[in-house]
Amino acid sequence: MNKNSTKVWTMAAASLFVGAVLLILTGPVSAHKKNHSSSDIQAFDDAYMDVVKMGDALFHGGGPQKELGVTLTKTGMACAMCHPFASDVHPHQFPKFQEQMSEVAGLREMINWCIEKPNEGVKIGIDSEAMIALEAYIMWSHKGTVIDPGTH
Amino acid sequence: MGKVHPDRLEMHKVLGGKKQKPDNTVSISRRTFLHKSIISGGVVGAATYGWWPLINTVDIAHAASNIRFAWVSDTHLYPKTLNTRFVDKAERAFKEIEAMKPDFMIFGGDLAQKGDPEELILGEQMLRAVTVPKHFIPGEHDWYLDMGKLWEKKFGGSPWSKDIKGVHFVGLNTVGQAPDYWSAKKMTPTERMGHMEALDGSVAGPWAGLGQEQLEWLDSDLRSVKKNTPIVLFTHNPLYEYYPPWNFWVRDWREVHEIVKPYSNVTNVHGHTHQVLYNEIGGMRSIGMLATSWPWPYAPEGVPKMTVPHVRVDPGDPFDGVGWSEIEYTSQKGIDTEYKMWDRDVFAKATVDAGTGDNTGLTLRSRVVDKIWQY
Repeated sequence: MNKNSTKVWTMAAASLFVGAVLLILTGPVSAHKKNHSSSDIQAFDDAYMDVVKMGDALFHGGGPQKELGVTLTKTGMACAMCHPFASDVHPHQFPKFQEQMSEVAGLREMINWCIEKPNEGVKIGIDSEAMIALEAYIMWSHKGTVIDPGTH
Repeated sequence: MGKVHPDRLEMHKVLGGKKQKPDNTVSISRRTFLHKSIISGGVVGAATYGWWPLINTVDIAHAASNIRFAWVSDTHLYPKTLNTRFVDKAERAFKEIEAMKPDFMIFGGDLAQKGDPEELILGEQMLRAVTVPKHFIPGEHDWYLDMGKLWEKKFGGSPWSKDIKGVHFVGLNTVGQAPDYWSAKKMTPTERMGHMEALDGSVAGPWAGLGQEQLEWLDSDLRSVKKNTPIVLFTHNPLYEYYPPWNFWVRDWREVHEIVKPYSNVTNVHGHTHQVLYNEIGGMRSIGMLATSWPWPYAPEGVPKMTVPHVRVDPGDPFDGVGWSEIEYTSQKGIDTEYKMWDRDVFAKATVDAGTGDNTGLTLRSRVVDKIWQY
């Protein structure tokens, strides 16, 4: 990882930390107890976009994999090599019957299947930071696509 | 990006009208063969059989005699220490071609994944398994680490043209003319290559194109060719506008079509898209070839209506959805293109099995990370 990307990820980590502090101070206790200011909305959006950006980087074979303790691939392949713009993921169709697993699966299970099979990586925690980031990026990429669950 | 932008996909309006079609002696037929698909997994145990099209056959009446050649592209080799999956598949293709002994083989670019010397040298060594004459055009993955220096040293320069048995073959370089996206940002060669490596990246911009100098060369090269001579243009990228965000085009396609307009029998054979594609614009037909490495999904828009899409592939099977192509010219039948897709049948019969229908209607956004100024 070069200096610039390290800087970007340090800033991202710092933003996430600030977001977490904000959440502790103003979140669970006072959520929706008063009208949101524009700076509240901006802070929410910033926190969300930081996760999306991390997911984008992870999806394209970069990002803080080492820091997160994840191995998304051992073949050099990245998610985006089969899914440019996260296309062909079809997040709007999950949960659905997934032929590879012979069961109705959610998007996160499918992400793990891809990590383990084509990428030959190590599957990640279903609620892990990396998983949420990947999901966030995939969903962000499809904003505006009509939800169509169960479709093969 | 959900709908086709009327200005961006203007080719059918400009060039696809009733004024001009490929040579009227050309006909397209599709051979069929028995398709066997077993649905597995324990829950559904059933077998379906049907006659599905396998081979696109394009008949061109003017070919003087028989020529058979093989196309391989998009091997995307990594060093063997990292990944032998792509090496295995390229080896299989080269072995099959050597057994076939065609008149020649064309390698259509993207031999390497990161343009690394180790990858290009590995490819060079593997290509020794093919003893028939070999011709080369580069892909972007071969080029942007050292701006094509090692590629050209190993595999020669382009453009080039050759007349073989009455057919005029042209090899073009559609990758080496990217606008300079690296100097102002002081990118290292690895960073420059990294942006080129991501198909859906936006930093490298509309990098695919012939450029003015090569357009002038093409114009001049074709001037000595009779208007009804069969012409085959080998390119890495398609010579029409399919999906610019992934450089499934050349940015100067209008100029290319203007140059080939007087010629009635032009075929563009291209790689880069890693999928079955067929299109006709004006007097030129384009045939998209398989990769040996992995298949790209069909783009959410712009797939030519004349394309019979290939079947949705199994991501758990590295040999599915990939392969190479055998192309044969005969004086009786013209061009036969046969996709040698491994492990599966080629074409989809129903929308549900086709990547095209599957991806239509998606609303997709370009990468967010590209918008972060890191330099």
